Order: sequence, then structure tokens, then C-alpha cells
Amino acid sequence: MTTVLIVDDHSIFRSGLRADLDAGLTVLGEAATVDEAVALVDALRPEVVLLDVHLPGGSGGGGAEVLRRSAALLEHVRFLALSVSDSAEDVVGVIRAGARGYITKGSSGAEVSNAVLAVAGGDAVFSPRLAGFVLDAFGALAGEQAESTEELDRLSAREREVMRLIARGYSYKEVAAELYISIKTVESHVSAVLRKLQLSSRHELTAWATARKLL
Amino acid sequence: MRPPLVRARRSVLGGVCAGLAVHLGWSVRRIRLVTVLLTLCGGSGALFYLWLWALVPLEAGDKDEHLVIYRKLPVAALLVMVGAVAAMVSFGALVEGDESLTTRALVVVILASGGAVAWSLGFDGPDPHRTPRYATTVRIGSVALLLLAGSVTLSARPNAMNAVLGVVMVVFGVGVFAAPRVVALWSDLMAERAARVRQQQRAEIAAHLHDSVLQTLALIQNRAGASSEVARIARAQERELRNWLFAGDEPAGQDLAAELRSVAAAIELDYAVRIDVVAAGESVVRSSAALLAAAREAMLNAARHAGGDVSVYLESGPDSIDVFIRDRGPGVNLDDLPGDRLGIRESIIGRMMRAGGTATVRPVRRPSGASSDQGSGSGSGSAKIDTEPVPVGTEVHLHLEVSA
Repeated sequence: MTTVLIVDDHSIFRSGLRADLDAGLTVLGEAATVDEAVALVDALRPEVVLLDVHLPGGSGGGGAEVLRRSAALLEHVRFLALSVSDSAEDVVGVIRAGARGYITKGSSGAEVSNAVLAVAGGDAVFSPRLAGFVLDAFGALAGEQAESTEELDRLSAREREVMRLIARGYSYKEVAAELYISIKTVESHVSAVLRKLQLSSRHELTAWATARKLL
Repeated sequence: MRPPLVRARRSVLGGVCAGLAVHLGWSVRRIRLVTVLLTLCGGSGALFYLWLWALVPLEAGDKDEHLVIYRKLPVAALLVMVGAVAAMVSFGALVEGDESLTTRALVVVILASGGAVAWSLGFDGPDPHRTPRYATTVRIGSVALLLLAGSVTLSARPNAMNAVLGVVMVVFGVGVFAAPRVVALWSDLMAERAARVRQQQRAEIAAHLHDSVLQTLALIQNRAGASSEVARIARAQERELRNWLFAGDEPAGQDLAAELRSVAAAIELDYAVRIDVVAAGESVVRSSAALLAAAREAMLNAARHAGGDVSVYLESGPDSIDVFIRDRGPGVNLDDLPGDRLGIRESIIGRMMRAGGTATVRPVRRPSGASSDQGSGSGSGSAKIDTEPVPVGTEVHLHLEVSA
């Protein structure tokens, strides 16, 4: 059983999501504001928090503020960002604050459930749009490529291939089949990209995030 | 039956005499003579005139000159002249040392100059003969009179009464001079503030709609299933709302990504399909008609034969453009298609070749040992849950070299 906390300020959306989630997931609770979310994450210790990017309360920082204030728990609790907005500044903001993935609210209950399971298992979840953003922001399409695996500011050739396939709408399984590698390898590539996205000091990341709104 | 008593629009001063003449059937001259005679007998004629001026309505105008009034007498200019004469009298009186005459003359200067400005602001507006230049002249004349008379009076060691009048004149003159600029500044400030408030309001509405309405629309699409009629309507509505909310954020020129999105939007209206367009890279070319047409055809095919979720990915590199259109349908094999199916062969592959590019159509590889391991969802492009057979689908790849 995977335990879940739903954080969203719209009760309709919370109840809709709750009803749509797989039977294998247990919803421990719901929170509507930043302060409520921080308190409940600490009290309930769910495995996965489904976190809306735009949240009222706190000091106005929304989902990213919840992540920052729960930073000590990131080892045990994993966050999956949910948003109606595809704007890069929102998405990159929560990812860099520590979220393990991001999906849009247009995703079906089954898709959200799969993403929750993936995040609970320690994987990262990328939408095609986030993959497209990563390719852009790391300069992968302009021919920039990492020399070593230690490098944080560029993608390796393999990571670029994986990101391109995800941007094309491939699932992890399909990426694995396409590149003749195992799913585990795909997942480790995606996790590596997530790590770069969180740690890289590449100036384009912030610049892109503020300058561009990917509608 | 007498014609009604109205003031004439073509008049000397107020149109009272002309109006009375028409009403009573007398000649205008006779009326004027009577008025002047009455005025000489204790001013009752002037009072009567003012009374009628205030109470009698204006003659209804023609359509063309609805609000137009013609006055032969340039009242404002005459008042300035009266003021000028009074100012001269006051100077003379100052030299003579006749303080009560000075006071009276100065009051006349103030009244005449103020009256001239007031008249030109209040009554000359609807008169086409009084040009802006005339109004400016009147105002400058009044200001000059007030400042001149005021400062001369103050410099001639006047008594208390005249000193007060002098100060009033200077202040009044400066006020008349500065008023139009202050008013203009003020209205600019107000307009700016109004614009800022509007902007703020719009942002608030946007934030609210963004949070609540877009969420609800997303929920509707979610619950209704990607291919239902309800979901399509909700999606179209969502797109419209997004366009309205974020209008102005998009660059003005249509680029390839924007064109692909609008094509996708049009197809979504006609078919039970959800098309997700992802664009990456800086676009070097603005647009390519062949590429766009081929992409449209591929999206249409996906919508017709596969439905459900369709992923479109546009990648703009420094020397090439790639578009991938991927569906999750039963899949096609190009060799199995009958020769008369021109869709793919002609409008996609042929079109791209004529434009100097390539197009490949291939099935997406089926994952090996699919159904047992855990699904790793990735947004709308993810695999379905484990119990369903893994969809395969078709991918069309359009490739175009960019010539420098």
C-alpha cells in the first residue's frame, strides 16, 4: 500500500482526484493551504505528496514553499507536483525545490496513480513538456553535450536521447524498447536528469523559466 | 398662433432680442430700442434681458449644427478690452493718488479679465467662429492684464485695500496661466491610474480563473475521458480561456510551434482526440508551408484512425527541423496499404520530398515482456495501467534541413 497526501486548494479537485486514484493507493488526508500541508506532511509522513503548484497561505510561495519548509523530510516523503499551469517558472520552481516529478492536472486518474507509484519507488516523473523544456534549457538541441557524468550543466548523449523520446510521448517502457536498454537504465537516466535540473547552476535554467511560458 | 419663444442660434449676444422679435412679430430693431431705453431707466432692460437669457430655451438646431451657436459679438475679446481700459484708468488714478478710483478700476480689471476667461471656457466652445487660437489669445491677454495691473499696483505703495487687490490679481493671473497645464497633468495621472487599476483587475481575474475555472475544466476532461464529446468541449473552452488570459505573452509573429498548435486545436474540434504539442529549440525559420501541411495530414490521420492521445513534438535545431507525430492506435504498415490510399504516400511523404525533406512512417516498437513490470507514467504520454494491453501506435517523423 502506498500512502498519499493530497494538497490542493480546490475541494472539488481533491475529491475528484481521490475518487480517481487506484485502489492500491491509500489517501491519508487532504490539505488546502501551505501551512496545513506542512503540518500534515510532518504529522502523517505519507510516502507521496501530490502537491498543487499554486497554493494559498504561508508567505505566498505556493507549492515550492511547502517543499522548502518540509526540506528535512525529503528523504522519507516524496513530492509529485500537479499543476494546471505549464509555465516553466512554476514547474522548474517546484522541481528545484525538491519535487520528484511533475504532471498536469489534465492527466487521468490512472496516469496520476502510475506517477505516484513511480515516485514512491524512487523514480522521477517527466511529462513530455518538461522533457522538451529540459532539452531546451540544457542546450542539448544546440549541440552541447556533457563530457563526463559528473557534469551538472549539460546532458550526456544518452540522457538527451531519453529526453527526446519522452518529449515525443514515449512511456519509459517504450523508451527502453526503442533504445534497447532496460527500464531500470531509463529510470536511472531520468533520475540523473532530475538531479541536474535540481542542482545545476546553469544560468539559462532560471532565465528560461522566467522568460518563457510554455503554454 | 405665435411661434414659441426661443433664443436664436444665430445671434449678436444671447439671441434674446431676435427670439423675442420672432415671438412677438416685431422687428428686431424695435425690440433692441425698447431694451436699450428700458436699460437707461434704471437698468430694468438689462435685467429683463438677463432673465430671459437664463430662462428661455435655445432654438432646436438642425441635425448638422445640433450644438452650434453663432455669436456676432466676440464677448471675451470685448471683456479683455474693457479690462485693458480699466487698467489704464487705474494707472492714471495711481499716479494721481486717487485711491478709491484705483480700487474701483482694479475691481473692473479683475471682473473683466476673469469674465473673459470664463466666457471663453464656458460659452465659446460650441461656436465654430471662435478658434483655439482666439481662445489662447483671450487667455494670454487676460493673464497679461492681471499680472501687469497687479504688479504695477503693488510697486506703487498702495493702501491696504489696493494691495490686497493687487495680490489677488497676481495670484489669479498665475492661476489662469497654470490651470490648463495642471489640469492636463492631473488627467494624465488619473488615466494612468485607471489603466493600472484595470491591469491589476485583469491580473486578479486571470489568477482566479486560472485556479478555479481551469481546474474545473481539467477535471471535466479527466472524468469524461479523453475522447468524449464533453471532454472535447471542455478542452476547447480551456484553450480559449488560456489564450485570453495569456494574450500578450506570446510573441507577435506566428512561429512554427504556434501554427502547429492552432492546427492541433482545429483538429481537436472535429475529432475525439487530444493532441499535445511540445516544442523545443529556437526556431530558425518562421514557417514552412510543406512541413506544416504534412504535419497537419499526419495529425488528421492520427485523429481519424487512432484517436485518444496524440503527441506532437517539434524540435528546431541549428540546421534542421524535426516534427514527430505519435499516436497510440492499432498502427499502420505502409506496405499493406492499398495503392489508392493517397493520404500518407502523397500528402505526407511526397509533399516532404518535394520540399527537400524526408518523412518516415513506422510503428512504435512494442516493449518486450511488457505487462508484468510496473508502469512508469509520464504525464499524458504515459502507458495505461497494467491490466490493459500496452498500446503501440504509429509515429510519423518529418525532417527538413534548413538551408542557410
